[in-house]
Amino acid sequence: MNTSLRGKYCIAGVGETEFSRGSNRTTRAMGAEAIRNAMNDAGLKPEDVDGMLSYHGGDSTPSTSIMYDLGLRPNFYMDCSGGGSSTEALVGLAMGAIEAGMADTVAIFRSMNGYSQMRIGGTGVRAASPITGIDLLKRPYGMISAVQQFSFTFTRHMMEYGVKNEDLAHIKVAHSNHASNNPKALMKQRVTVEDVMNSRWIIRPVAHLLDCCLETDNATCVIVTSAERARDLKQKPVYILGVQGRGTKPGGDFHYQHGPISRVAGYYVGPRVFELAGVTHDDVDVTGCYDAFTYTALLQFEDYGWCEKGEGKDYVTSGIINLGGRRPNNTSGGHLCEAYTHGMNMVIENVRQLRGTVDDYCPQALEGVHTYDYSEGHCRQVRDAEVSMNMGWGTPAVGSSLIMRR
Amino acid sequence: MTTEYQKPLPRPLSPELTKPFWDAANRHELVMPRCQKCDHFFFYPREECPRCLSPDIQWASVSGRGRLHTYTIVHQPVNPAFREDAPHVYSVIQLDEGPRMISNMVECDLDDLRVDMPVVAVYDDVTPDWTLVKFKPA
Ligand SMILES: [Zn+2]
Repeated sequence: MNTSLRGKYCIAGVGETEFSRGSNRTTRAMGAEAIRNAMNDAGLKPEDVDGMLSYHGGDSTPSTSIMYDLGLRPNFYMDCSGGGSSTEALVGLAMGAIEAGMADTVAIFRSMNGYSQMRIGGTGVRAASPITGIDLLKRPYGMISAVQQFSFTFTRHMMEYGVKNEDLAHIKVAHSNHASNNPKALMKQRVTVEDVMNSRWIIRPVAHLLDCCLETDNATCVIVTSAERARDLKQKPVYILGVQGRGTKPGGDFHYQHGPISRVAGYYVGPRVFELAGVTHDDVDVTGCYDAFTYTALLQFEDYGWCEKGEGKDYVTSGIINLGGRRPNNTSGGHLCEAYTHGMNMVIENVRQLRGTVDDYCPQALEGVHTYDYSEGHCRQVRDAEVSMNMGWGTPAVGSSLIMRR
Repeated sequence: MTTEYQKPLPRPLSPELTKPFWDAANRHELVMPRCQKCDHFFFYPREECPRCLSPDIQWASVSGRGRLHTYTIVHQPVNPAFREDAPHVYSVIQLDEGPRMISNMVECDLDDLRVDMPVVAVYDDVTPDWTLVKFKPA
């Protein structure tokens, strides 16, 4: 394993658009705004950004259009096909492109009208796509959306390890408490375990409505550059210690064939990212664990080794993942409560956490002065956060991870 | 049947690869690809054995017996054609011969579903040309 790039690269800028349900804007306009916000955040001018990476599911605007709107002239760009878990993987690819001398500073963006155009629940344009490949043997039975496919893993896990819906609801409760201190969050309302349990079934027995993420219109951006360059820029550098992605389980498009079905890709990704970063679980102060559903977070906590297999239910109900706990998770509210961004908002949040300048309701938040009062409508800055870890989820079989240090 | 069948049908893009499966289903039989070199049953159909990469594949009858490996109960089908069936059950079936396949569980009270419960194939002639292999409690 090549550990020579540990700490050599940084995330120097982050930015996003408003999170909405009904943007009435093109992905082109939103993508340009998110990148511009990240450039302003870093103090970069158009001539300073010479690389672009994006990911999409046929639902975005190519870099070639957005570079034009921003006055960029990249030496390197690629638009990659992919959803969740692409964020971390592209951070690694950006480092590779810079290391190869193809560019010096790379803007990674995701732009999606995930609510008003291509809904990840599988309605809208995507539902009408023709049947090919493995889908031949799934679609006649009605299988189409992400939750249906993921829930095979969830159900088997639930029955093997005795997970209760109340256990899962604690994840939503924690993330909603965090979102209540995030002015950007779509769903700022704090919820209770009972609220989750009383929301309607989406997929029985594993997901009520409030166990599912918020389909959102948004664009997001993170900018990667060398540590050397980052030290001259506007923000405190956030160093990339290690990144992995997109690591897979055996079996690719039909991983259900290969047991144990309740194991997710983090089982393979986790040991590699910790070794690469040169840190242990104990060193990590804040996590960003992909919560497309409450269950995706629980499975990843187990397979990344935050607890033993089968003890995720204890981890998520123990208070560890709450603000004020040992290792808060998704302090922005994550996909369940802030916005569904295919993983970008969780990386952005951890960058802000490590800078100490999370944009909460503290009057001097952006100067790094926080109250650490985690009650509703106040602070969400983790005290003295030094190391963060992101765990991105593509499917049960595909995952990525990123460890950063301030 | 008076109304046209609205759900997706398994019209394959490469019929030669999957035709024996659907032909057998029409006869109310379940067949699986089997490697002639290493005896491995596998699914879904491919041109080479995923274990030993041999191209020598024959279709072989299987018992239609297995266990419910995992499942989900869908209350809100995204495809409107499935709404009349809701709530209905997607499942992964572990066949006794080794492969797993995706199907629907039918003829079962939703509260009685359990992982690893024994199941057996049933054949649903959804149109004159197409039969879907589904499973019920054994
Ligand atoms: Zn073979």
